[in-house]
Amino acid sequence: MNFWDYLSSRHEQLLADAFQHASAVFQCMVIATLLGVLIGVVTYRSEWAGNLATLTTSTILTVPSLALIGLLIPIVGLGVPPTVIALTLYGLLPIVRNAIVGLRGVDPSLVDAAKGIGMSRTARLFKVELPLAWPPILTGIRVSTQMLMGIAAIAAYASGPGLGNEIFRGIGSLGSKNALNQVLAGTLGIVVLALLFDAAYVLVGRLTISRGIRV
Amino acid sequence: MSPSPAGEPPLGPHPAEPRRPDGEHEVRGHTFRDTGEGEPEATPPLSPVREPRRLTWQKLTFLPVTLLVVLLITWLWFRNAELDSISQNALADGNVWVRLRQHIELTVISTFFVLIIAIPLGILLTRKRLRPAAPFAMALANIGQATPAIGLLALLVIWMGIGKKAALVGMVIYAVLPVLSNTIAGLKANDPTLLEAARGIGMSPAGVLTKVELPLAVPLILAGVRTALVLNVGTATLATFGGGGGLGDLISTGITTQRMPVLVLGSILTVALALLVDWLASLAELLLRPRGLEVRS
Repeated sequence: MNFWDYLSSRHEQLLADAFQHASAVFQCMVIATLLGVLIGVVTYRSEWAGNLATLTTSTILTVPSLALIGLLIPIVGLGVPPTVIALTLYGLLPIVRNAIVGLRGVDPSLVDAAKGIGMSRTARLFKVELPLAWPPILTGIRVSTQMLMGIAAIAAYASGPGLGNEIFRGIGSLGSKNALNQVLAGTLGIVVLALLFDAAYVLVGRLTISRGIRV
Repeated sequence: MSPSPAGEPPLGPHPAEPRRPDGEHEVRGHTFRDTGEGEPEATPPLSPVREPRRLTWQKLTFLPVTLLVVLLITWLWFRNAELDSISQNALADGNVWVRLRQHIELTVISTFFVLIIAIPLGILLTRKRLRPAAPFAMALANIGQATPAIGLLALLVIWMGIGKKAALVGMVIYAVLPVLSNTIAGLKANDPTLLEAARGIGMSPAGVLTKVELPLAVPLILAGVRTALVLNVGTATLATFGGGGGLGDLISTGITTQRMPVLVLGSILTVALALLVDWLASLAELLLRPRGLEVRS
């Protein structure tokens, strides 16, 4: 059976998997972005808190996804709960780190100038610092999303939803005729989803990056 | 310097501004006079001479000590854990050390290749002549990065056969994009007027790159390197699915055979290794950051 036959014979299953994959990643990204930017804003001023936030989130990320999911199973069971928890936690690191790097990278004289023309602390944050730090944050969100795409695939190992199931079926039957088709279908499906998300982020960047710093 | 009030149109030089005495300026239409009439504007006091120390002893000792404690606790717990024959088999013959060494090897080799590929590529793609190619290269790299690590690995194993080579190639492909995009973002985020100024004082393109652009982009590039290292330590755990070894072997054995001691030991060793690597990268980040970029309150 060649790849196209395989796709057409399994397209319903594949589409359902793809939809679940995308929706799991999207929902976790929304939570991770809100949490991540919030953590960045709260902590970037203090060296200590910023480092603590970065260290904590990177500690979470450095736990190999297989192991974290494996450790979550005894606590929350199989399937969707460990997937959502793991994805949200993993999604935080690039966002928090880029938010802190970006916010700290804002030229202090600009902040000073904003202070000088009488902007309040909140106004400085929302009108000067965050817009200037937004491009790296958006980069963080993009990196995060792509990473989550891959981690969601691994979560299938714990009966999580999504296209990872195809890949693991393929790995389970290495050497059989359909192994390549299964791995290819799962992998390409995730690539397509990731590219769609990425295109969406380019659009978001166009709409949200302040005109003054657009390159 | 007259502080120009916001909202009033003429920001440029006022055409017919009468000559003011020194120390007098206008704010929102009112004339103000600095105290200490006619004094030349005081230069801002130099920032305190003492540089803040970059490396504190807490930073140098906290993480290694914590890791040591965690490993010690794990070891003590492990000595008393009930190991059945399956667990013992999985850990026999110094298997743990073999896997740990494999894991480190995989991480170091793949990171080396990631760096020598991604950073020069990022520099090339921000040069004027190649800049039009940057979006295409990024799109290509995005496709590579968008490929899930596990799928990429499975495909490489089907193509190149089971073994370390497939795992290494997969790890390098997987980690190149964060470093590449960080390099490009870092170089692009530089204030163009600085580059213009550097060119204006007669610096050669190479001089602008090495003396202005790269130093300014160092924090973002280093953040990318760190991300790559962390990713590689994590991806190396997947090498086990392609027969590449590494600590992932212990983890997957632990999961498939439902033996928690094996799973926990593998995970904790991986976490400790990853944290150690991350810590070393953070030290490098501190030491290599240009002094001029440090934000002081």
